[in-house]
Amino acid sequence: MRTLTQREKKTLRYATVGIALYLALFGGFKVWKFFDRKRTEYLNLVADARQLKLDVQRREAKLPHIQKLMEEFHLDPAKLTRATVVAEASAAIQKAAQSGGVQLGPIRESPARSASRELASIQLEGTGPVPAALGLLQRLNTCGYPLIIDSVQFSSDPMRPGPIKFNLTVIILDFEQWKSVEVPHA
Amino acid sequence: MKEIAFLTPAPVFIEITPARLQALCEGDGLEIPLEREADGKIKTLCQEKVIARLQAFAGRKFWQTRPRAFCALSANGVLLRRLSLPAAGPEQFRKLLLLQIESEFPLPPAELAWGFSKLHSAAGKQDVLVAAVKKTAVAEYASLFAACGFDPVFTVAALARNALSPQPAGSHAWLEIETGRAELVVFTDGVPAGLRVLLAASESALAAAVAKALGTSWPGKKVFVTGTPQNISAPLAAGLEMVPVKLEAGPGRSAANLGLQKILAGNGGPLPLTLQVQAKSTPGKLNLSKPEIKIWLQRAAVLLAALLLLPYAEPLLANHFLVKRLARLQADQERLVTIDRELDFLENLKQTQPPYLDACYLFAKSAPPGARLESLTLNRRGEVSLRGTMQNGQLVTEFRSKLIASGFFASVSVEEQTPTPDRQKVNVRITAQWKPASALAGLALGPSAEEIERAKTNKTAAAEGGAPPGMFPMMPGAMLRSRPARN
Repeated sequence: MRTLTQREKKTLRYATVGIALYLALFGGFKVWKFFDRKRTEYLNLVADARQLKLDVQRREAKLPHIQKLMEEFHLDPAKLTRATVVAEASAAIQKAAQSGGVQLGPIRESPARSASRELASIQLEGTGPVPAALGLLQRLNTCGYPLIIDSVQFSSDPMRPGPIKFNLTVIILDFEQWKSVEVPHA
Repeated sequence: MKEIAFLTPAPVFIEITPARLQALCEGDGLEIPLEREADGKIKTLCQEKVIARLQAFAGRKFWQTRPRAFCALSANGVLLRRLSLPAAGPEQFRKLLLLQIESEFPLPPAELAWGFSKLHSAAGKQDVLVAAVKKTAVAEYASLFAACGFDPVFTVAALARNALSPQPAGSHAWLEIETGRAELVVFTDGVPAGLRVLLAASESALAAAVAKALGTSWPGKKVFVTGTPQNISAPLAAGLEMVPVKLEAGPGRSAANLGLQKILAGNGGPLPLTLQVQAKSTPGKLNLSKPEIKIWLQRAAVLLAALLLLPYAEPLLANHFLVKRLARLQADQERLVTIDRELDFLENLKQTQPPYLDACYLFAKSAPPGARLESLTLNRRGEVSLRGTMQNGQLVTEFRSKLIASGFFASVSVEEQTPTPDRQKVNVRITAQWKPASALAGLALGPSAEEIERAKTNKTAAAEGGAPPGMFPMMPGAMLRSRPARN
């Protein structure tokens, strides 16, 4: 192979430099695009993480309020199960009535309207002194089940002077329906 | 570090004698005669000419760094000494060397451009070859070459020539002849033993001066001769042989330049000692080749690179941790959604609790003395229905007024008011509607401390038989009595 002249060597050098520059620029652009895409994804991820953190903080601020309400109602919704809540609530109502000095009469359970997020309604009749009847109203709120007194009727007992008769309609709320519905601010 | 040829220009080799300047660069040569003042300085006009011609000669491109100029100085004013120092660490060695230079040379080290090369060391001693020249002389050249755009490195021409000898490590002498003067350097086992400038008007006088300079004890036999003329017809002393060295013809191809070129090419041994001189920096121009500036430039480059790369490096480094953290947060979010639902449920439960007890309390509080309630019906929609008897119509009106004044009820209607057959009482049927929960939230309902105390007293009295059973708690006058049984 013949020796290259200085001119040829120079041409080769320039060509090599030119090709190297082209490759560096082309490859550099590709590499830059790759890293830029990674960075954009990362920044989006960071924004998501920040938003999520804010959500968590906002919800964490609600915890004391939830705690207070749970203590007020003696109720932990997470422990409620749909299958047993009606039976348990009925037992709790009867227990509250008996412990308050109220004599219960007929008790009727009927399924409630599911559209109103109600599980069942219980209608009960009883007799007892006024303080005991009012105390029962109070205790129903704190017996540990999601009960709402739909209506209450006090009347005098024609057969027994002194105690009054009362007729209560209690609704048991269905917590499961809250689980399946999108909660506002969630 | 290997320099990039595209950015770094080829080195320039320059030999400076009192009469001329010879430059060599990549096979091209240049020779410029020098005009000097009486004190030896180059004339200003001549300097300008030298600068212009050297700049054109180097042909430096604007993107290239300053080319290095290896400058070989003639022996005029150069002193060569071989010193022996005790072995010491680098810092201590330098101090000892400065002390020795101060004692051996006529000028202090600060006024000298000097350099050294280490020779052999033995028995705790370090032999050093020191070359020195007056600093002002070298500084002039340094400024000149800096103005040309060169980065000069100074050495002694007589030492550079030795690279051309067949056996650089042997004992021989080099004689460089110019018109009216000659430089003689004597090597013993490759180490310079003496450097002389010989001024002789004739060849015989030059031969005699060379013989005298070499002396009789010198072990060498050959004297290599370069320059013009390349041979001396007059005989040297007995046993000495004069060997003319044929050099490449052309401008700039002096023995010193070719020697330096051979050294830089890597086949002429190490670079002879270099003379250190602080060149005057060109005013208004930043010398980027200065080591301290290079360091700062490197730091700036590193910082700039970090500034540009870190934003892109962060995703690669932190993405893994962020994904993990995000997964943790999302797990938390699901838990918190449940909590949200629980809160919504509990709040709903609280808001939908009808205020039955508050309503009962208000009826008890507002009922006039002697009033009897036979039935009371309330539902969670706020509808209230009451049936009972009161003493007269006036008390019914007062009762209704009190209920309205409590702010609890949105409407109170006396639907029926009928006198009893004996005209002693009136039967009443009242319906009412309490206000929505949002409106009731601001009301302060409930018994006061006095009322609670009074209720306690009544309770005691009731226990003693003072009050009939079935009375509403905190009910001042009203009683819910059973209707008398009809016979």
